[in-house]
Amino acid sequence: MRPLRHEMILASAGSGKTFALTDRFVALLARGAKPERIVALTFTRKAAGEFFDEILKKLADAAREADAAGRLAGRIGAPQLGSGDFLAMLRRVTDAMHRLRLGTLDSFFAQVVRAFPLELGLTGDFEILQEHAARLERQRVLRRMFARAGGLAPAQQEFIEAFKRATFGREEKRLGAQLDGFLDDYQETFLAAPSVELWGNPARIWPDGCAWLEPQGRLADAVAALVASLAGRDLSDGQRRRWGDFFAALPEWAPGMELPKPLEYVLKNALAVWPALQAGRAEMTVERKKLVLAPDECAALARIVTEVVGAELRRRLETTRGIFAVLCGYEAVYHDAVRRTGKLTFADVQRLLAPAAGAPLLAQQSDDCEGRLMIDYRLDAEIDHWLLDEFQDTSFGQWSVLRNLIDEAVQDAEGRRSFFCVGDVKQAVYAWREGDPQLFRKIFNHYNAAAPGAIIERPLVESWRSGPPLIEMVNTVFGARETLARLFPGEASAAWNRVWLAHTTAVPERGGQAALLHADDEAGCWAVALRLLREIRPLERGLTCAVLVRRNDTATALADFLRREGGLPAVAESDLHVCIDNPLGAALLALVQAAAHPGDTLAWEHLRMMPLGAVLAAEELSFPERLTERVLEQIHAEGFERTAEWWLAKLEPRLAVDDVFSRVRARQFAAAAGLFDATGSRDAAEFSAFMARHTVRDAESAAVVRVMTIHKAKGLGFDVVLLPDLEGNTLEERRKGLAVQRAADRAVEWVLDLPPGLFREQDAVLAAHVGAARAAACYENLSLLYVAMTRAIRGMYLIAKPAGKSASANYPRMLADTLGGERRPVRVGALELPGAWTAGDPDWYAALTRAEPVSEETDARAIAPVAGLEHAPRRQARRPSEEKTGVLAAAQLFALEGGGAADFGTAVHARFAEVEWGSADEVARLAATWADGGPAATEALVCLRAAALADVWTRPAGAARAEVWRERAFEIVLDGAWVTGVFDRVVVARDAAGRAVRATVWDFKTDRVETVEDIAAAVARHAGQLNLYRRVAAVLGGLDANGVVCELVFTRLRRCAAVPEAGAR
Amino acid sequence: MVNPTRRHFILWDRPLLTQAAVWLADSWTGGAPLDLSRVLVVVPTRQSGRRLREALAEHAAARGQATFPPRVVTPETFLTFEATDGTASRLESLLAWTGVLCDIDAAEFGDVFPAGSQAGNAAGALRLAQEFMRLQSLLAEGGLRFADVAAQVGSDFPDTARWRQLATLEELFDDALLAHELRDAQAAKIAAARSAAVAERYDRVVLLGTPDPLPLALEALAAHASAQPIEVVIFAPITESENFDEWGRPLAAAWEHRQLGLDEFERRVHLCADPAAQAERAAALARGYGEPDGLLALGVADAEVLPLLESGLARAGVAAFNPEGRPRRSDQLYHLLATLAAIAREPAFDAVEALARCPDFLAWLHARLGAGFSSARFLSELDDLRAEHLPATLAEARRHTGSPALALVAELRDMLTGGEFPANAAAALGEIFAARQLDLAREADAQLHESAGAWTEVLRECAAARARFPGPDDAGWWELALRLFGDGARTEEKPAGALELQGWLELLFEDAPHLAVAGFNDGSVPDAVVGDAFLPESLRARLGLKTNAARFARDAYLLQAIAASRARLDLLFGKTSAVGDPLRPSRLLLQCADAELPTRIEFLFAAPELAAPNPPWTRAWPLVPRRAPPPAKVAVTALKAWLACPFRFYLRTVLRMEAVDPAKSELDALDFGTLCHAALEAMGREVALRDCTDAAVLREFLLGELAQQVRARFGDNLTLPLVIQVESARQRLTHVAEVQARERAAGWVIADVEKKFAVEIAGLVVSGKIDRIDRHAETGAVRLLDYKTSDSPVTPASAHLRAPRCDETPPEWSVVVVDGKARVWADLQLPLYRHALAAELGGDVECGYFNLPKAVGDTGLALWDKFTEELQASALRAATGLCAAIRAGEFWPPGAHVDEERDEFAALFHRRVEDSVNFGGAAP
Ligand code: SF4
Repeated sequence: MRPLRHEMILASAGSGKTFALTDRFVALLARGAKPERIVALTFTRKAAGEFFDEILKKLADAAREADAAGRLAGRIGAPQLGSGDFLAMLRRVTDAMHRLRLGTLDSFFAQVVRAFPLELGLTGDFEILQEHAARLERQRVLRRMFARAGGLAPAQQEFIEAFKRATFGREEKRLGAQLDGFLDDYQETFLAAPSVELWGNPARIWPDGCAWLEPQGRLADAVAALVASLAGRDLSDGQRRRWGDFFAALPEWAPGMELPKPLEYVLKNALAVWPALQAGRAEMTVERKKLVLAPDECAALARIVTEVVGAELRRRLETTRGIFAVLCGYEAVYHDAVRRTGKLTFADVQRLLAPAAGAPLLAQQSDDCEGRLMIDYRLDAEIDHWLLDEFQDTSFGQWSVLRNLIDEAVQDAEGRRSFFCVGDVKQAVYAWREGDPQLFRKIFNHYNAAAPGAIIERPLVESWRSGPPLIEMVNTVFGARETLARLFPGEASAAWNRVWLAHTTAVPERGGQAALLHADDEAGCWAVALRLLREIRPLERGLTCAVLVRRNDTATALADFLRREGGLPAVAESDLHVCIDNPLGAALLALVQAAAHPGDTLAWEHLRMMPLGAVLAAEELSFPERLTERVLEQIHAEGFERTAEWWLAKLEPRLAVDDVFSRVRARQFAAAAGLFDATGSRDAAEFSAFMARHTVRDAESAAVVRVMTIHKAKGLGFDVVLLPDLEGNTLEERRKGLAVQRAADRAVEWVLDLPPGLFREQDAVLAAHVGAARAAACYENLSLLYVAMTRAIRGMYLIAKPAGKSASANYPRMLADTLGGERRPVRVGALELPGAWTAGDPDWYAALTRAEPVSEETDARAIAPVAGLEHAPRRQARRPSEEKTGVLAAAQLFALEGGGAADFGTAVHARFAEVEWGSADEVARLAATWADGGPAATEALVCLRAAALADVWTRPAGAARAEVWRERAFEIVLDGAWVTGVFDRVVVARDAAGRAVRATVWDFKTDRVETVEDIAAAVARHAGQLNLYRRVAAVLGGLDANGVVCELVFTRLRRCAAVPEAGAR
Repeated sequence: MVNPTRRHFILWDRPLLTQAAVWLADSWTGGAPLDLSRVLVVVPTRQSGRRLREALAEHAAARGQATFPPRVVTPETFLTFEATDGTASRLESLLAWTGVLCDIDAAEFGDVFPAGSQAGNAAGALRLAQEFMRLQSLLAEGGLRFADVAAQVGSDFPDTARWRQLATLEELFDDALLAHELRDAQAAKIAAARSAAVAERYDRVVLLGTPDPLPLALEALAAHASAQPIEVVIFAPITESENFDEWGRPLAAAWEHRQLGLDEFERRVHLCADPAAQAERAAALARGYGEPDGLLALGVADAEVLPLLESGLARAGVAAFNPEGRPRRSDQLYHLLATLAAIAREPAFDAVEALARCPDFLAWLHARLGAGFSSARFLSELDDLRAEHLPATLAEARRHTGSPALALVAELRDMLTGGEFPANAAAALGEIFAARQLDLAREADAQLHESAGAWTEVLRECAAARARFPGPDDAGWWELALRLFGDGARTEEKPAGALELQGWLELLFEDAPHLAVAGFNDGSVPDAVVGDAFLPESLRARLGLKTNAARFARDAYLLQAIAASRARLDLLFGKTSAVGDPLRPSRLLLQCADAELPTRIEFLFAAPELAAPNPPWTRAWPLVPRRAPPPAKVAVTALKAWLACPFRFYLRTVLRMEAVDPAKSELDALDFGTLCHAALEAMGREVALRDCTDAAVLREFLLGELAQQVRARFGDNLTLPLVIQVESARQRLTHVAEVQARERAAGWVIADVEKKFAVEIAGLVVSGKIDRIDRHAETGAVRLLDYKTSDSPVTPASAHLRAPRCDETPPEWSVVVVDGKARVWADLQLPLYRHALAAELGGDVECGYFNLPKAVGDTGLALWDKFTEELQASALRAATGLCAAIRAGEFWPPGAHVDEERDEFAALFHRRVEDSVNFGGAAP
């Protein structure tokens, strides 16, 4: 068998990434690896699940069919293997199923943290915070930070100062909203770079110094000099006005503010000739005319410009540090209140393991080295083999956690261990989630530099998905090296061209069509999409179909459009806000709001506008007082789900008979309310916020046109793909937000709130950063289009605006320049559409008709009940002693001292249970044993001695034999119910033959019964119980019911009271 | 040594239950009660014990008799029913541990706390204490304590040093208990198991159908077996005897590769997409039987499916019952207690708001305040307080109101914090429920009765523990008590005919001929523990604790026994969990002949059936707003709203719809403006400042006024957002002072402020207040000013006029041509000011804004330059048209360009506003 090497696979779209990965898994098994010693990690839970299924199916197929076995054996370099071998492997995998480590990186990290809580600074198990919970925690933390008791705490004072710095000159009225925004935008950056050193630190940004920041002397002097000098110059009126406006605007401006137009004008033109200006000989354009500036004028202007740029930079540095301080203040509280109490996000989990944060190293052997986590012991996992999927989406942070373990595998001298990863750096569309496409190459180089040839690289360029026309289009667009280089000069195209390899198809016989179509605006693009769908009718032909867009809300709107205008079963695979996107949900939320906040006239009036108003009237709940009390009561007693269900049931008859949709939403609403109930909260405001945020993804359903974002389509394939959302924005737009500069090893070097364009263009450091950021954005956008264009199996239709004359480096331009910009009609079946490029067969789908649907699985039969089964009856359970009725004061339930009463009662009962017959001798004996028995014993003794109770303890007169049941449990089926209970004391009198002749049931009552009326009441209260006892005793004794006497024994009063037979009174 | 057990086999061709009853009663002739009171029977779970006793009663009833039942226990209860005094309660152990962990020097226990002490705060220590208690209880199952582990792990295990230190910690813990003459419950359990005292009272001891007893329980039983062997009843044919050990435990080796007989595999095993699909499938099964109870039983192997199953069955009209009970966290009382705890911890206003929404608390207020009290009014009052004063605390809130209800809250708070926990808690609850009579026949009252009993028990436990351990502060005690209470479960009697939802381990004692088990996924069945921080599998095996292999054997046996003993067994498993995690079918489903394995794989790992596509969006109903008569009077500021959207104007101005923001925590734009306005108004009224041109003086005055306003409205302890907002207002006013000084120096004198006016236009009275009127000292020129505190500066022209939109035909009266371009009136405020004061001031009046924007550099006047009489005339024409429209009840169609983000009525509308509302017909 061929030995396995460490391998990194560069897989193109559709080239069978999962296939390669599963083959590798089988190859490892074939070489004797234990399945539980293989770790395979990917990003989504779905992919992880599919990966496992694939392995099993592959093995099962090979186990069943010799052909399949032969092919698989060939692929994994073990040709001698046959079906039997694969069956054995299948068994090994299924036996180890619970120990397999195929999953997401997140879950793997969580497992590790779970096994080492104390080592990682936790105090035990932790929970993963879901989104809603995380929001609540954030609010809680903010509230805690904001609260005041007396003077401002120093930390709060500091926080305010930091906040002011962070929002310099543009202080905000709304702190809460602003801070929320900060946290949304910057928290991840903060956590990735939690050191003040990295934030707004000029020494790190400009290690060689920054000329802008050097002190410039008095600005006023330079201004005065320039004003004076220019005054003597021969300027046009326009020029003079420009300069005048400039000098007027200068003092008005403060750093951080937007540049006033006159200021911007001169600044821009001065910076355009900056080197010359510094050199003292500049020809500057003012009012469309050249103005040659004298050396001292140059010097003065240069000083002014430097001063302005410097001031802006200083402010940005300060703001950046302010933002850091704000986040720091928040984090300190958050850490203490949330993480330390065991509530973590997945990002927290990963950070806990980050070696940079001081976490011990992950390792397998304990070795000599201190501070290593021995995951083989704690996780019962000796990991020999590593398989990593979607490597292009791995972040630097994730890699740094894994690195140590993988190092050990790669460097394993005996070659028992291995490393394998697969990814497509052309599909790197998760850079915004820190996915790092450069990592692939870096790691490859890193290991191979240490040991040349340690890892081999294997490209996969053959697509098993797309047919020839589709591949042709992909190659034409993405293989156009020169065009791309021209459109996106610099690193963006260079990086792309470096990784590009021409694609081929593994399915040359697969017919289809690829085309670029044109429409003038969004509405036009959508209309073309609809026309295509009507023409191709993919669903009727049994073809899968997707429409890919860039944003979730576009998906929702477009799916709506296709349903409304085209009557197509289109489903937006975006997250639907099912609780608020329809009148029914809005009604219930208004109801809760109106009840919890009766002064909310908006909610109240809203209720009156809809059928719920009539329900309220029918239930007599139209007044705030009634509604508030009823709904709050419902919510507190039963939770939101049941409350919602109750009201939904009331509303149900008011829905149109055929309104299936609203009924689906009703169910979803109740289910969401159930999820909220699980949080344990009964708070109406929290409920409303939860419901408003709650989303549901439409279940994957059969035969629909799926409308989704390109990101969601990653990893999927469809017969027909439409791309009607190729916007005209430039691809080089840098992501908004703080600039985060990373070093070659991907660690954060510095963070800065970037100044506007004008201020940074002349600064080499900032310009370089922005240039790189633009290139990265451009690369990501190329990846995005690549992902989109490689989803199709047979039909791929791009629908874009014509590029026109726009010079913007956008998708339409790129498609025009690669596929051809000339307009020509494109035929798709019977349609002729404006377009520019096509390949393949315009009638490719004509011959395809849907196979007869497989006859519906006879599900009804599968779940039909079995007829004629014999079964034991199920009884209702009854406990006579627990049958509580009556009215009592609630307050007494909360009396702490009351606890003694029950204990006392139990103790007295226990004493009585020791008594068989109360002869004088026996009483004396008991008195001796109970000497230290406390009040219960005293009470029992008094009762034993009480004349009024003598009958209880005395052998029945005239009976040949008598028998006592003390504290005797019984069980019986009576009136169809299963009755269980305990007799306190029953005396059965028997005749000489041992037959029972009569019986007395004594029931002890130790509670406070003071008066004759009390006795009567107690008798009434316990009549039910005692009559039941009577019947049971009769059965057990073999007597008639009237042969049994029931007596209550009141120990405090030392009195007995007979309980008459039911109906005898 | 003699064999301590005698094994009996009961055939698994029929359910165990009735056979077991017959077997136990084997010598009974039926003439007398079935008396088993001297028999001890150990069964796997409480529920199986119940079922057994019921079956015995049934057996006796068949001959017209009843039973004196055997003592039926589970292995756990069997170990604890001898618990004596002097055993620490859970709470006491927790406190002892917490104390130990707080006191130690973590550095001395570097192997336990390699990252340093995590017990730094009380919460951390508490969590650690719980972790250690969990560990103790796990170990006790095998009769072990930390020291035993330390002795047994041996040096070949990596964690030896850690266990040694843990043992030392446990000694400290024992000492801490001993100081109060207490003993750890687990240690007591172990000791009890080893002192043979239990069996004497029983003639027979039977271990019945218990494939997975605790090792410690077996140790105890073995100790009793000296007199008479323990009878072990195994539910399996005698031919299987080799596959069980002497205690009836399935042998791992025998079951590891055992093929399990499952009839009609592909029809009885159901792959479902997710928990909801499982619930639906199970409900469909149940619906098939008219009265499923007894015929069909449902098992739930994965607890996650349970709640969905419950609601799924309820929807299908099948009554279901969960014998495990409900967590007390869902008790009504729990939520009252939680809010009380919050109030006790800190009298924060939001805690008061939460308390005020507890029905029991409202009932108390009713009782105390009499018929005059209204819950709705009280809640509105609280909302108003928040909107107006943003009080942080109860005390702050009370500064603004004499509300008797809030006074009662304060009284309650005093009660909660006076004295010591738990007496104060008990007293407060006694007070809240003082006037309540519970009628136990009412379900809600019976429930409260039961909850209250459980809570009071917790308090008693706390009182006992507190007498021994100082423990935390009152807030900490509340938290502990709440947790103890919340962790408990409320069990109820099964309603007649309800279908029980039983756990996997209960099913051996289930006798329904048709059984369906949901959640049959790997990890649930067989159950497996992977990656334990203290007891990894290898160590568990070394210590003789339950291993995954043992769990597998048990579950394989259970499945076989359950499947063999009934007419039909359906197994449902999910492809994903509720949150989308992929799930795998139980490995037990793959215990088949190798030849069959590929087929099974194909079947079990197929794609689940796709759901039918969701129906397209449809509207449940349009809203039908009531029609109220048009107003006779409006504020001038409302006109702008009509111009933006007549319908929303109707909702706001005519129907007076206004939302309450329960989360308001800082000033909104209106509040902010009001604060600034008030200071500015005061400045305008101050005669002494009329001629002031000293910015510093003006500033002092404005800031002083502001401070006073703020104090009056929000008190002294401003929350951080308010501090920052007030700071913002100060900055803005500081700049106003400068501008004002300049303006005065330029000759402008404030002539009037907040001047009221009302004019009638087209039958509608339009009223308003003019912020400020300036008159020039020399020229006598007049200008009307409106303060604007929006974030960015605005100019009057851009605020009043807008470009027409390409998709609209605005009413003819609203259009005006400015500089040759058509414009539409968007606001009429300033022209109407001029109009209203025309008689008084004459025609030549300037108007404009005094901006106080967030970029304070832009503070200053924005006069409406190029305001012409023509414009004024057009504005008046527009006003006439507009007022006539309002008088005529024209509130439709809605404006098309309202920003959804800022639309206060957004919740009413779904998709287009026009379609959401049915506003037909004429005004009344
Ligand atoms: S926003 Fe209004 S004005 Fe602008 S294009 Fe749309 S309809 Fe026309």
